[in-house]
Amino acid sequence: DEEIFAPATKKPRNKQRVLLLSSRGITHRMRHLMNDLEVLLPHVKKDSKLDSKSQLHLLPELADLNNCNNTLYFEARRHEDLYLWAAKTPNGPSIKMHVQNVHTMDELKMTGNCLRGSRGLLSFDKAFDETEWGKLTKEVFTHIFGVPPQARKAKPFIDHILTFSILDDKIWFRNYQIIEKDPLQPNGPPQTSLVEIGPRFVLTPIRIFEGAFGGATVYSNPEFISPAAVRSALKREKGEKYVSRKH
Amino acid sequence: EDSVPRQKVEIDNKIALERIRDTIKLDPALAWTETLAVTYPETIDVDVDDDLNRELAFYKQALHGANTARSLAAKHNLPFTRPADYFAEMVKSDAHMERIRQRLLDESASIKRSE
Repeated sequence: DEEIFAPATKKPRNKQRVLLLSSRGITHRMRHLMNDLEVLLPHVKKDSKLDSKSQLHLLPELADLNNCNNTLYFEARRHEDLYLWAAKTPNGPSIKMHVQNVHTMDELKMTGNCLRGSRGLLSFDKAFDETEWGKLTKEVFTHIFGVPPQARKAKPFIDHILTFSILDDKIWFRNYQIIEKDPLQPNGPPQTSLVEIGPRFVLTPIRIFEGAFGGATVYSNPEFISPAAVRSALKREKGEKYVSRKH
Repeated sequence: EDSVPRQKVEIDNKIALERIRDTIKLDPALAWTETLAVTYPETIDVDVDDDLNRELAFYKQALHGANTARSLAAKHNLPFTRPADYFAEMVKSDAHMERIRQRLLDESASIKRSE
């Protein structure tokens, strides 16, 4: 009866669950973006809005309560700026990014569609492997956006692909439906083509922290200017124009 | 009175970044079917403001990814294509798809009218 006690050689599994939540004060567009991500990622657990913007250390606890080992946290500021935290909980790291150019699935321009809960492919371009922060970001995104096969609501077929590309020091997100039949020749040879499903957004990395929602900064983007600074600079310029005209 | 522009401190602690990546890295023995991640062997090198070429570059990346993944899926015996008789709830509802279709029709109609 020795065989019973022999350790079963189990295949390694990719166990990921993601907690998705936002701060208070998000606009409808931000909320729609969050819903889009929830629909696309069947291993996501959505939670209610976090009450406080200064108590981010509560998030790892909250993730733990929901059996999640990743967290996506959308932080809205001044009802117009959106930041995204992508974190491994409870031990870190966490990446803080600024979200811009949001287009949600609701917009009627994107004609693609896919199964609810089908596992999306992930495509990263080569630029992710060229910098150390890129490699780390790729690893974290693979955990968060890659749907594990045993996710409860996952469907057994693949019909869409999420692409992450680095361009202009920003991360561009796109989601395409994979169509394998030529619509003009349904019986002809299979020909892969793509139709965009949405959503779209651009992420500017700001900082990478060692811990989950805190800890030492291990990377900071020197190019990043906060949107508030951009706005105040614009306003000042306008004001100076007036002053110089007056004198 | 002029304030000296404060130089932002750049932090790029490569050693720490690598160490952190090591601690969270997925098991290398993990089969490809567990993550479904592929890498595009090129960088996206286009003008950011050139919408058409930029989107084309993203499209090419996704197309390459889809084709690579399909051959990988065949190697791992992972079902890829959805059979024509498999129906399930979609991400966008039928009502939403109908609105998209209607919009496309309206657009083509207005183009015809103006011709």
